[in-house]
Amino acid sequence: MKKIDPAFNYAKKLTCPFCSLGCEFNLILNDFGIKGVDYLKTGSSGGRLCPRGSAAALYLGHPKRLSMPMKKDKVIEWPKIAKELNKIFANPEKLAVTFDRNITNEEYELILSCCHANGIENVASCYLEPESALAEFATRNFDPGDLGSPGMVVVIGDPFNQSPLFSKYIIDWKMSDRKNRLIVIDSISTHTASFATEFIPVSIGAEPLVVYALAQEPGIKTEDICKVGGDCIKEIAGALKAAKSGLIVVSLPFGHIYDPGALADSLHTLASASGKNVLPLVEHIAPAGNIPFGDLLAKNKKGNLHYLMNFGELFPYYYPQLSLEFKFKDIYATSPLRQQEYNTIPFALNLEKSGTIHTNYGVKKLSGGIVPASGARTVHQIIEMLDIKKNGKATVRKYEVKYDRSARISTLMDKSTTAPKKKSMMLLGEKIAFDFMNIFEKEILKINPADAHENGLVDHETVTVESKRGKNEMEIKVTNTVPTGIIAVSAENAATRGLFDFEIVEGSVYFIPTEVQIWRKG
Amino acid sequence: MAKRIVLDLDLCCGCRSCEAACRAAFKGESRIRHADVNGQAYIPFACRHCAEPLCVASCPVEAITINEKTGLVIRSSNLCIGCRSCAYACPFGVIDAPLVRHVSQKCSLCVDRDDGPRCVAACSSGALQFLSEEEIEKHEIGMRMQSKHRFFRRRA
Repeated sequence: MKKIDPAFNYAKKLTCPFCSLGCEFNLILNDFGIKGVDYLKTGSSGGRLCPRGSAAALYLGHPKRLSMPMKKDKVIEWPKIAKELNKIFANPEKLAVTFDRNITNEEYELILSCCHANGIENVASCYLEPESALAEFATRNFDPGDLGSPGMVVVIGDPFNQSPLFSKYIIDWKMSDRKNRLIVIDSISTHTASFATEFIPVSIGAEPLVVYALAQEPGIKTEDICKVGGDCIKEIAGALKAAKSGLIVVSLPFGHIYDPGALADSLHTLASASGKNVLPLVEHIAPAGNIPFGDLLAKNKKGNLHYLMNFGELFPYYYPQLSLEFKFKDIYATSPLRQQEYNTIPFALNLEKSGTIHTNYGVKKLSGGIVPASGARTVHQIIEMLDIKKNGKATVRKYEVKYDRSARISTLMDKSTTAPKKKSMMLLGEKIAFDFMNIFEKEILKINPADAHENGLVDHETVTVESKRGKNEMEIKVTNTVPTGIIAVSAENAATRGLFDFEIVEGSVYFIPTEVQIWRKG
Repeated sequence: MAKRIVLDLDLCCGCRSCEAACRAAFKGESRIRHADVNGQAYIPFACRHCAEPLCVASCPVEAITINEKTGLVIRSSNLCIGCRSCAYACPFGVIDAPLVRHVSQKCSLCVDRDDGPRCVAACSSGALQFLSEEEIEKHEIGMRMQSKHRFFRRRA
């Protein structure tokens, strides 16, 4: 009998689907399962991997991977779930089909063509991360030629934590010439800010206003929203326009600003005023649907929609505050992990699929070289098991969004300059690659030393945080990087994300900085 | 003289890719630690593989030994009794006092990997490098250091 050698490892080259950089790495396997990741010496990242990429093997073999369909907390057989899905697809006027991330381009096409073939009109993207407002910029590929010397890079947010692999480009560029200027705009001090030539600290959610000011948009009093005077903003705007080469880099965490739509508009304005390109660093680039998700919610409230079927990874588990608004009779959703409150269908990760994804370096192929986890199915396999029409047109009806710039600017000015109520603090989202899906560590709440002292809190203490949307407990870290009155957290689990309030602006759902109260646990 | 991990502080972006790589490879245990500098930067630090290591001297069961060829200070998990003497003896605090599976955790420079330590391979900004002493002498990185000994520090 042939002996199995446990030391016999083999490697499969995969493309990391966890952000828009699409780095490559080797997954090491043997006959007993996944051993880990290894680092290539080639590819767009030069073999390097951020914490998300290093977590790939742990995510693939996550102990909570779902292997059977679940009807809330009970296991249900595949034929039974197929029967239930056939039933809801038989009523297209009462069904909403949504999709979020962890889906390949080919799977999006299949979902859209199926909806078209079966007469389903209510098709929406429920990838409600603020970065979805930047999707139109993401279709343009990153050109390293934009980082010439001498040059200027304006950064909005914290790309060093959003996409750490991009930091090498920026740091190398900055160190190559003393004349290169790196301008960082953010409401909290970040690692990216610590590398900045000039850091512009702004009040909460005021990033779009500063970008408008850099684009010389009239009616913005910069003194009210940032600690930098109008003359300084004018000088930076002039220097950006005059710079031979330059780039506007943006990364947008969950719950960090009030109006991602306004940020997208302001970036358009700045790009055309300065002649520089915009590079968004995002986690996923998802297409839009037939209708905005906010309109779909409104239809559901009126009682016109009874069922929802979601393909993806996030919805509805990672938006618990939205679930409270639902009036659906039943929600079916795919998920790679067990989520006991909903009807779930085991879903393969993009790492396990073949197909293509959009990245900052163009469309990249997923190798699909590994077998999906036990029971996990792709969109093709799920749709294949249903008795529905499959050959429609993979097109969406584009919806127009009205945009009243002056009204949005004045609303933003009001929000950014309004102080929170007494004894309340503003909860702000940030993006930390190391906290990805809480695989390595649970997220930590950052608080200013003055606020910690006022609340009688010390470093590493567990506190209760409560907003009007929810309540959660987490550990605090006392640090000067957040200003007084603000607490910041990387929203990587459902309980933390559920703390954030949301607004529906012209059909788009925005998760916004939220007023919260904190106190010592117990 | 074997190669050592060298950190170029000017390049470190604080993303903790090195720690993630270490944790992913060693079942959630990190053998690289971080100092948080006022929230502005995370400075990774790992075992320096000292020439005269105090952890070796302090180990009551000779679980930590020096490889004479490579100079690596290696801890044997079979022999370690989890007394934490090494953690308390280490002047740099690179051995974590809490035990994982009853043994102390210590960087081995990924001796099991042909291409060097995983933290260096993963480092997103290229701040961590795996260099021999001769390379450090020639490299620009050496010019930034206060000391050319193994205990590198930046010039003030």
